[in-house]
Amino acid sequence: MRMRTIEISVGAFVLAGMLAAVFLVVQVSGINVSQSEQTYKLSARFDDVAGLRIRSKVSMAGVTIGRVTDIAVDTEFGEAIVTLEIDGAPGGLTADTGAKILTEGMLGARYIGLIPGADEEMLADGDEIIETQGAIVLENLIGQFLSNMGK
Amino acid sequence: MERMLRQVGADTLSWLQGLGRATVMWIRAAYRVPKPSDWMLVIRQVYSIGVLSMAIIVLSAFAIGSVIALQFYTQLARFGAEDAVGVGLALVLLRELGPVVTALLFAGRAGSAITAEIGLMKTTEQLSIMEMMGVDPLRRIVAPRLWGGIISMPLLTLMFNTVAIYGGVVVAVHWLGADSGGFWSGMQNAVELWDDLGKGMIKSVVFAVVVTWIAVYQGYDCEPTAEGMGLATTRTVVMSSVLILAFDFFLTLLMYGDFR
Amino acid sequence: MESEYLIEIEDLCLTRGEKVVFDGLTMRVPRGGITAVMGPSGTGKTTLLRVIGGQVRPDRGSVRLNGADVCRMSRAELFRARRDIGMLFQSSALFTDMDVFENVAFPMRVHTDLPEDTIRDLVIMKLNAVGLRGARDLMPSQLSGGMARRVALARAIALDPDLIMYDEPFTGQDPIAMGVILELIKQLNDALGASSLLVSHDIHETVEIADYVFVLADGKVIGEGAPKELQQHQNRRISQFMRGDPDGPVPFHYPADDLQYDLLSEAG
Repeated sequence: MRMRTIEISVGAFVLAGMLAAVFLVVQVSGINVSQSEQTYKLSARFDDVAGLRIRSKVSMAGVTIGRVTDIAVDTEFGEAIVTLEIDGAPGGLTADTGAKILTEGMLGARYIGLIPGADEEMLADGDEIIETQGAIVLENLIGQFLSNMGK
Repeated sequence: MERMLRQVGADTLSWLQGLGRATVMWIRAAYRVPKPSDWMLVIRQVYSIGVLSMAIIVLSAFAIGSVIALQFYTQLARFGAEDAVGVGLALVLLRELGPVVTALLFAGRAGSAITAEIGLMKTTEQLSIMEMMGVDPLRRIVAPRLWGGIISMPLLTLMFNTVAIYGGVVVAVHWLGADSGGFWSGMQNAVELWDDLGKGMIKSVVFAVVVTWIAVYQGYDCEPTAEGMGLATTRTVVMSSVLILAFDFFLTLLMYGDFR
Repeated sequence: MESEYLIEIEDLCLTRGEKVVFDGLTMRVPRGGITAVMGPSGTGKTTLLRVIGGQVRPDRGSVRLNGADVCRMSRAELFRARRDIGMLFQSSALFTDMDVFENVAFPMRVHTDLPEDTIRDLVIMKLNAVGLRGARDLMPSQLSGGMARRVALARAIALDPDLIMYDEPFTGQDPIAMGVILELIKQLNDALGASSLLVSHDIHETVEIADYVFVLADGKVIGEGAPKELQQHQNRRISQFMRGDPDGPVPFHYPADDLQYDLLSEAG
């Protein structure tokens, strides 16, 4: 008798936990698992990646299509080599796609914006993006502005 | 000087001994496949540990969720960024406050009860007579409580997060008038299933193991007197709270820290 | 080959911290009948029961129960061996989260696969034997001390053990409850054909029911025999204890300086 009420309330408890899990998955995180099904890698060289981090977004036309998975430095040329992971199968980006390091809003996080090109050929897994523009560093900008003022 | 050194040495040794005893207890209790009849014992514990903690978890969750929403709203409204309330609330809850506050409340509500219960059984020689009957109290008393705690806490954390977000909705959307669409879509854009919800739940499981282990061990190892029981119960709450916060720091560093 | 003795203890030594509890204790408990272990408080009588039950491991020596050495058993063997032992603690130690019925049913449920009907009948029989059949739905907190001890006794004999150990069964009981327990121990021992080992310092009650008595002091057996013999023993230490004289070789005073010296010396 008493055991039955215990069993029922434990059942309800577990069910409530499950429902909470479903709510958190569907309503709060808005399930974006589907994106992680298939990905391919691209690399890009930048002269400056200040502020960019692993797991920073990669987006095109404001839509997130991938993430930064690795940032290394090439000391010979003084350049940063960034590895990008793009969602979906290779073949969606033209070979002359450009990559820019941008900032979300005034003080937001750094991310990589891809600019579509017009080439016939497409980027394959492991290819490099040639057309790049590094991060705009506020200090450099102010420095240039001041020296221009002086002229 | 010599006395101080000796004291430090003795304390270290007794601390290590305690850790050793706790580990042996854990292995003896958890090692071995549970029988179907053991599940009934676990269900009973999920009831007294989990179900009975629900009220305090739900109440606190609602209060905390609505307070966070209120604070975020008043600050963000100055920049016209009320839509970001949902993002901030969800991330703060899923990553940190959900697992941590649930674990702290759990330590105070269920952890202390577990210690007191096992301590009482020890003081009144119930554990001892059980052993003399050829029943291992580690499997009969300790193991079901360990599993009961480890099952209950993640479920409680899920409920905490849900109710707290709901509390935030009530304050930010229904009361203060933030846009409901912006609230939810902002949240859904920013929250990652694995990075935020998944990692938060891993924290919760780790805390569950830490708190129930401490609670059970303190009860099992307490001095069999009324005074010893009181001390053990206090120790459970203090040790659990400190370790929850310490583990949270290191887990956060491991999970979200950008260091290689 | 069954030995004539149920328990054989050989050269048992045990120290706890600074205190020597047993120092070469040797005793043989015969099969059948009621054997009592007596001695002043603090001579490790309760510890002796725990050593026999395998809860306390001695530093040296052997404890043979039915020919098997308890001190060298693995955990699993020990748990199996304990199923044949019933034990009654001084504190009764009823499980506070179960009612009287479930307390008595507990050993049967964990050690046997008997159907529920059989368990019910057995529990009622055991409770009837201690006269508490009507109290089966009460919780332990609703019982008096004497009743709790009788329930604990019913639980101890639930699996019809070969050996029943009683730890101070008479302590803290009113005269009526004491008489009841006394009668029960005698009856149960005969009815079950078991051996009983009883630890006590209540001389009169023990002498009444025990067939054989060991007297313990300083971690050793200082005398053994039938109760009547011991009371007439020429060793003053034994007869003092058996007759309950306040002073004798076991001094009334805890070791101290001379009283006059103590009174005249400065405070602090």
